[in-house]
Amino acid sequence: MNTTPDTTTTVGNGGDFGPEQAAALLGQTTQQARRKFQPSPPWLLVTRAVMVLAALGAIWLSVRGQHPYRGPTAADIPVLVAFIAVNFAATVGIRRQATAGVSGRSRFSQGEITVLVLAFAAAVVAMAGLRAAGVDFATYPTSVLVVPGLAWTVLMAARANWRGLATGLAIVVIGIVGAFAGPAGAWAVAAVGLCVMLLGSAAAIAWQQRA
Amino acid sequence: MKDDGLDPLIHVPTRLKIVATLAALPDGDTLSFTRLQDMLELTPGNLIIQLRKLEEAGYLSSEKTRNGSAQKTTVTLTRQGRKALDAYTQALRDLLGGL
Repeated sequence: MNTTPDTTTTVGNGGDFGPEQAAALLGQTTQQARRKFQPSPPWLLVTRAVMVLAALGAIWLSVRGQHPYRGPTAADIPVLVAFIAVNFAATVGIRRQATAGVSGRSRFSQGEITVLVLAFAAAVVAMAGLRAAGVDFATYPTSVLVVPGLAWTVLMAARANWRGLATGLAIVVIGIVGAFAGPAGAWAVAAVGLCVMLLGSAAAIAWQQRA
Repeated sequence: MKDDGLDPLIHVPTRLKIVATLAALPDGDTLSFTRLQDMLELTPGNLIIQLRKLEEAGYLSSEKTRNGSAQKTTVTLTRQGRKALDAYTQALRDLLGGL
């Protein structure tokens, strides 16, 4: 028990630190800390949702009239690459800022990062193999989401991160639904599905930060 | 413990902010002294004094690591500290009739 006089027990202009002030300070500090430690802030997820809808939606608009399907045009590729580059840079930068000085479960371990990278690589290799074998859905943009989505789901389950697990399952579902939408329709499924998933995550995080 | 049930070790603005900030991290995660200082906008001297009081009570633990000439201090909320904050929050709720 601390019995030494404490000069910091008062706030403001010298009044006592009462329960009302303590409750306000506790709520405010907790919310601020949660916001600062959050590697995926809601505003970033909403921005990403708008970008994914615009980028993939634009590609869908350009490929939906193709008979037979030839894939994204040369003009679409820079849009897709720019989307991926901006998304990656923003994610890395904000995650680095949020986890600065933090060690432990908030950060991905080297093993977890390796699993995710291998899952992406395995998906690309598997799709290339299936494409060479003439499997139609291997050319769909959504197909490549299934394996990384499953890897993410397993990692989040191991961390008992239920929001992350729901995100992983949503990615897998988008990948599977896309396989039934046809080559052009898969772009629309990816655009709308990922946009909805990102908006859902943003809403869940915003709610969690206020709780 | 005071009559109102509020733990006097936590019921101090600076220490309440320290404990609440560390509690926002997952259980067992550590935070560097410099990041904590930046977040709470405290002087190093003030932060050290408050951290020492909380550490003496068993509410947090600190670890010093040396990397060459630089020394890094990290702090983490202990299970006891998390329980104390939960009890403090409950006491506030009881006092204020549902926070």
